[in-house]
Amino acid sequence: MIEHLSVEQISQWTIGERTPQLEQHVAECPECRAELEQLETVLVQFRAAVRAAGNSASPPAWREAASRGPWFSWPRLVLGAATLLILVALPIGWRVRVQERAAEAALADSQLLERVDSAVSQAVPEPMEPLVNLVAGNAGGVEKNRKEQR
Amino acid sequence: MATAIASSRELDDSDAVVRLYWLKVFRFALASLRDRHAAETLAQDCFFRAYKARGSFRGEASVSTWLMRIAVNLVRDHARDRRLQFWKRARLTAVDVNTAGRWIPDGGASPEVAASMKEQVQAVWDAAGGLSERQRTVFVLRFVEDMDLLEIAAATGLKEGTVKAHLFRAIQAVRERAGGAKRVGGTK
Repeated sequence: MIEHLSVEQISQWTIGERTPQLEQHVAECPECRAELEQLETVLVQFRAAVRAAGNSASPPAWREAASRGPWFSWPRLVLGAATLLILVALPIGWRVRVQERAAEAALADSQLLERVDSAVSQAVPEPMEPLVNLVAGNAGGVEKNRKEQR
Repeated sequence: MATAIASSRELDDSDAVVRLYWLKVFRFALASLRDRHAAETLAQDCFFRAYKARGSFRGEASVSTWLMRIAVNLVRDHARDRRLQFWKRARLTAVDVNTAGRWIPDGGASPEVAASMKEQVQAVWDAAGGLSERQRTVFVLRFVEDMDLLEIAAATGLKEGTVKAHLFRAIQAVRERAGGAKRVGGTK
């Protein structure tokens, strides 16, 4: 009865750790030898396949890519946030300013109207004073006139 | 010391470094991520970071191992980074090892043998895809890049024993998938 190689011994052999005992067993056991040869062949072909897949690539213009740097960086994030803030704040600020100007204009208009009213009501030309008295319906004034006529 | 200075100077010539090591880094990224576009991006990022950090290179390992360590970390970050889960889902440029590489088995093989070999290579590729990120990393570094255990330990930051344990599990998974584990540790 012959003990075959264990899982660990096969792995050990495959990574290149070959003790005299292992070598002796492999030399004497055709089954283990065949299994190890098959595994080694598959791994060699696997290496060839991956290398063929990788070797078709050529180095890109990595300096240009490097000069661009990774897409994420704190300065870029801060710059982006600042730009966004400006884009949001500008229309709001502009709108507030327009509203303030409208309010100022409305206030100025009402103040101007008040001044005009005041000026109109106070500055009655001298020739028109009797007319004002008459319009005011000053009964006292009418009675006074009658007494003067008598 | 002289080697460290020479290696440090080697890093100053970024074009030469890219020419020398691009394929190695790209192949590792491709076998790990299985997406050509993502692998190119990662390889570019690797060289970009190496160029920026060349001042901190002390020559304790070779330039090749140092670059691979950066690449290993990037692959690890990629696996963890949820922002890039898109790659896992989309795989628009996903690689099939037998077709994308225009790989042809040994020309002397009969069509049957060639077809069988392609199947087995595909099985290894699939098995590697099912490994954990660390197992796949050490598997690729060992069996695609031919790095020895100490180099893999330096590139991954793992202990040599841990590297060996990951490799053992990876080999077992590959044997099971590729049909090479019909009989293990038995008697006849």
